[in-house]
Amino acid sequence: MTADDFLTVTDLHAGYGEARVLHGVNLSVGRGEICAILGPNGAGKTTLLRALSGMVRVRGAVRLDGADLTRRPPDAVARRGVAHVPEGRGTFMPLTVEENLRLGAFVRRGRGEVEADLERIYGYFPVLRERLRQPAGSLSGGEQQMLAIGRALMLRPRLLLLDEPSLGLAPMVTRELFRIVQTINEQERTTVVVVEQNAHLALDVAGRAHVLETGRIVLSGSAEQIRADEQVAQSYLGYRV
Amino acid sequence: MAGFLQQIIEGLGAGAIYASLALALVLIYQFTGIVNFAQGEMAMFSTYIAWQFVAGGMPFWLALVLTLAVSFAGGMLIERVLIRPVEGAHELTVVIVSVGLFIFVNAAAGWIWTFLIKDFPNPFPGGAIEAGGLTVGFSTLGILAVVGVVMGLLYLLFQHTKIGLGMRAVATNPESARLVGIRVGWTLALGWGLAATVGAVSGILVAPLLFLEPNMMGGVLIYAFAAATLGGFDSPAGAVAGGLIVGVAETLAGAYVGFIGSDLKIGVPLVIILGVLLVRPQGLFGRAAVERV
Repeated sequence: MTADDFLTVTDLHAGYGEARVLHGVNLSVGRGEICAILGPNGAGKTTLLRALSGMVRVRGAVRLDGADLTRRPPDAVARRGVAHVPEGRGTFMPLTVEENLRLGAFVRRGRGEVEADLERIYGYFPVLRERLRQPAGSLSGGEQQMLAIGRALMLRPRLLLLDEPSLGLAPMVTRELFRIVQTINEQERTTVVVVEQNAHLALDVAGRAHVLETGRIVLSGSAEQIRADEQVAQSYLGYRV
Repeated sequence: MAGFLQQIIEGLGAGAIYASLALALVLIYQFTGIVNFAQGEMAMFSTYIAWQFVAGGMPFWLALVLTLAVSFAGGMLIERVLIRPVEGAHELTVVIVSVGLFIFVNAAAGWIWTFLIKDFPNPFPGGAIEAGGLTVGFSTLGILAVVGVVMGLLYLLFQHTKIGLGMRAVATNPESARLVGIRVGWTLALGWGLAATVGAVSGILVAPLLFLEPNMMGGVLIYAFAAATLGGFDSPAGAVAGGLIVGVAETLAGAYVGFIGSDLKIGVPLVIILGVLLVRPQGLFGRAAVERV
């Protein structure tokens, strides 16, 4: 562990009832870094994110910038600056696009800042401005994913958790989304943890990556190292060596 | 023709009362997915509290405000103590809890205030406005005005305040609401508090027309169920429209359909419930459960 570890996860166990999913995950994410969590279906990627934001019961420790987040409920974790874009995007379907975005800033005070942040989000995602008064449920999948990321940014998060942003989207749309995530990371120094099946895209934007398999981290390294690793290449990237 | 319009006005007056109790039912259903069978009894209990205040010499309108405040706190308390432990349990469990609450509140009111009927003061003056052959009692006008104000306040709360936005978020996607930092448990309690308050209004409005006794709300609850079913259990505006329609239908059926008269009027809401469930189960204003994935 280095001095600038922003998020540290120590011996994290989590599961649903009798089903254990994570068996002692250790990882650390540097401040301002994009960290990719790769791995096959059922490896526990989504559960790992849910454990970080308090949505599942855990054993072990989660620390964010020195503060203990372990076993805090999701609303308390959000108030500590962790924005989680969940699997399925968590859209408030019948509410309008603008209401969805404002909900992202629910725990923040300071009206002026929130208004300014809405403008900032429209800067990243101009299509949302055109759809302000529409019910969020009427947006296309890609637009809903933009809305979900926009909603998360409205928290001014210190840590952004993205669960499979590419799911169900066309490759072009996904590339665009990852480009924006990278821009956000660079401009706002937001630390990002992204869970992805599409390892190519994730490794393009990530600094470090961890490979999760049946609830354990089996490989960690810089994005280049992971990309170069033959075993990963075969298992997850679909390369023929 | 004037007679017909007269019946409609009477119907709207009755309907406004059903509407307010239906609104209370819908509020709780939206937030917790629970059909609260105890809603009428909670309203009845609130009405007794108001009666107690007035009997103690308090001016009516002050008693009303205090009663609404007590009802709000009581509704929140019920959610925290009784409903929270069964949150997320099987629907039947929750229904049984609300039926248990019904019996408990009913018995408690009987124990505290006895089952003897009591006179409840009518806050509105006795006269009436007469115009074009129509007679509209101040009482009817007052009831319509009060329900209108309650509706307006709820609309402002839900559409124009941050806490209202948070409540709508919890109603549509509790898990996601938690992730943006909303305290979902307290929001649900707030929903129960609001529902208890709106229900109290319906009890206090109906008490001067009936007599105050522990079983007072039984009939009103059935009409409110019909109203909520007709309007759609997930639509507050629908509950109000449903309440007014049920009130008018009941009055017209009583006046013009010979064999119904005043004895069979209670059958009207049941026919409405059955009809809606057969033809349009989501109600007039309700959303069918279809969404894009």
